[in-house]
Amino acid sequence: MISEKDLKKVIEQVLLELGASGAKETCSISEEAAEQVQAIEEALPDITAVDLKKQVLVPQPENLEGLLKMKETTPARIGVWRAGPRYKTETLLRFRADHAVAMDAVFSDVSEEFLQEMNLFPIKTKCRNKDEYLTRPDLGRKFEEEELEVLRKNCVKKPQVQIYVSDGLSSTAIEANIRDILPAIQQGLEGYGVKMGTPFFVKYGRVPAMDVISETLEAEVTCVLIGERPGLATGESMSAYMAYKAEVNMPEARRTVVSNIHKGGTPAVEAGAHIAHILKLMLDKKASGLDLKL
Amino acid sequence: MREEILSVGIDIGTSTTQLVFSRITLENTASAASVPRISIVDKALIYRSSIYFTPLLSQNEIDGGKVREIIVKEYQKAGIRPSDIHTGAVIITGETARKENAALVLETLSDLAGEFVVATAGPDLEAIIAGRGAGADRWSKHQKGTVINLDIGGGTTNIAVFQDGQVIDTACLDIGGRLIRFQEYSTRIAYAAPKLKLLAAELGIHLEEGMEISFEELEKVTGRMAGILEEVLGLRPATPMLSVMLTGKDLKRNYPMDSISFSGGVADYVYAHKQEGFFKYGDIGILLGKAIGESSMMDRFQVYQPSETIRATVVGAGAHTVEISGSTITYTEDLFPLKNIPILKMLLKEEQLQDKDFSERIKQKVKWFGLEREIQQLALAIRGVKNPSFLQVQRIASSIIAGMDSLIEQKLPLVVVVENDMAKVLGQTLHRQLEYKKEVVCIDGVRVDNGDYIDIGRPLANGRVVPVVIKTLVFNAE
Repeated sequence: MISEKDLKKVIEQVLLELGASGAKETCSISEEAAEQVQAIEEALPDITAVDLKKQVLVPQPENLEGLLKMKETTPARIGVWRAGPRYKTETLLRFRADHAVAMDAVFSDVSEEFLQEMNLFPIKTKCRNKDEYLTRPDLGRKFEEEELEVLRKNCVKKPQVQIYVSDGLSSTAIEANIRDILPAIQQGLEGYGVKMGTPFFVKYGRVPAMDVISETLEAEVTCVLIGERPGLATGESMSAYMAYKAEVNMPEARRTVVSNIHKGGTPAVEAGAHIAHILKLMLDKKASGLDLKL
Repeated sequence: MREEILSVGIDIGTSTTQLVFSRITLENTASAASVPRISIVDKALIYRSSIYFTPLLSQNEIDGGKVREIIVKEYQKAGIRPSDIHTGAVIITGETARKENAALVLETLSDLAGEFVVATAGPDLEAIIAGRGAGADRWSKHQKGTVINLDIGGGTTNIAVFQDGQVIDTACLDIGGRLIRFQEYSTRIAYAAPKLKLLAAELGIHLEEGMEISFEELEKVTGRMAGILEEVLGLRPATPMLSVMLTGKDLKRNYPMDSISFSGGVADYVYAHKQEGFFKYGDIGILLGKAIGESSMMDRFQVYQPSETIRATVVGAGAHTVEISGSTITYTEDLFPLKNIPILKMLLKEEQLQDKDFSERIKQKVKWFGLEREIQQLALAIRGVKNPSFLQVQRIASSIIAGMDSLIEQKLPLVVVVENDMAKVLGQTLHRQLEYKKEVVCIDGVRVDNGDYIDIGRPLANGRVVPVVIKTLVFNAE
């Protein structure tokens, strides 16, 4: 067996030899290749741009109108036909492309610029990176003391409603929806005469982090806007979890949730108006989750 | 969440008066974690009245007092109190609707109706309601192509054309079973409608009250009446007599005509031929039915037979007039029921205008609208945007407020009807931009057109939805 050290040596050697004899050549080849790749990419249609609800791969459908009508009602991949017992290439590629979108939504971060634009200051949970966030759900609901200190320093105390934003499992969802939903909630609450606390952003947050925040700021009602685990239909779906006087270790049944907020589900602005209404109800009835009859 | 509401339908027609009660079930069909989506999941007829001849004081006047007696009696028989009723419609149809005292009769009944929505009908609405009561809208959903329902009553034939569940055309003709009536036990004419006299004259047949008429002559007249229906359905070239018999506009006939169905009292005799008792009702109804049953209509189209024929209109009124708004809506105060609000619908291309251009168009149309009739109120209808940004909503709201300023000055609430799901945020935006000083009603999930009137009932399902009745007085599909 060759040791790692030996292997490195061999590679170095090869690289050196390549550099000495054909550096120029390899370079020109790769430039050419790069151009070719670019040309191919430009010529290739973007398969994710196809509206799946309008795409029928069945060669000669008995009732095209009927099939399209069915497809209009669901994001599921129906009417995709087959190649032998398998998917057609197009279907398979689209499946993988959509999966890649979902992976991106989970593994990317909400950008600094976006937070600045929305005027949200960031804090983070005990997770140190994405991997830890994914593997340690328990840490995604806890904060170091100094993070909570930042919160206390920057936020209005004892707000009627504390709203904050958290990446959760889709940063894409946050960047797609917050711009429209946050002002819609704010406007709705203003109309109901409800005072809102200072909004901020929690990185690597799980839903129950809201309980810590509620206790720290002594909010009457707390609401987190958080990215949903993306599926193959969309990576932009967001949820709002809300609770009246949330506290650590409270039963999950005390949370009210509005999910499926994205452009193919409930539009962000309309969801925002609806959420404002629910928040108002929570204040009026002093209850949330199963205790609150909507 | 399930909620049941009781709906009443009352049809006061040219010849008959009927009533039905139906139970409409609402349910939130969205999952618990989603924004609610409340819809009608079931409609069940729970009571049908007997069929009464419409009491008349004279040829042109309905006996409101007698009608009221009938209705009161039927409520008692059904064991239902007026206060149990949530919604429904009273429809005065056919020739009767043109009679002078229709409005008065409706008023006589309004207290009986509790809080439900009362509707006077025009022929377009009547055609649509009968078509729905017959089930033509549902058939058209399950098949390719169109279903044309002909509701043939005592005074008129109301035609509604459905495609994929939606009305695409309507027409009304003065063809009905009681346009010639006979004196008891004879074929001596007691009444003949003026238009039928014209139709008969063209065949060389003289119709006059007090005159005896032969069976053969009557067959010729009813045969010609069926012929007019063939003309309106495009099976024969249109003659000038067709435009005489039409009460308003003709069918457009610019779509494939695939299937037909018949409802109304005459329909029973279209589907089943009885060889005797032609004059059982002292009119030409049975003969007319027979003539239609023998016409080319029966061969040239696929023919449906509805489960409701003579009751189609009343069933339509009782079970199929009420719709439910979208489940996220705005009303700043419970001012309902709001009744008879005319719709002003903006064109799609106008909606694509921005800011001042859009508001100017609204302003102009509101002005035209006001010139045509004395309006106290109207509802602005727009399609809205499928997935609007917050900024877009703000701009649409400002345009609406600027465009509707003359109406906003008045005391009445601002009413906006949107097709796309954005009524809650648009309503809240309007309210804020009006500095919370003006009551706002903004609903979505309802499709209306110019020529429609809208009634909005009291909120249901814990205040989340409102029942809506759309009354199509002039059918204007774009």
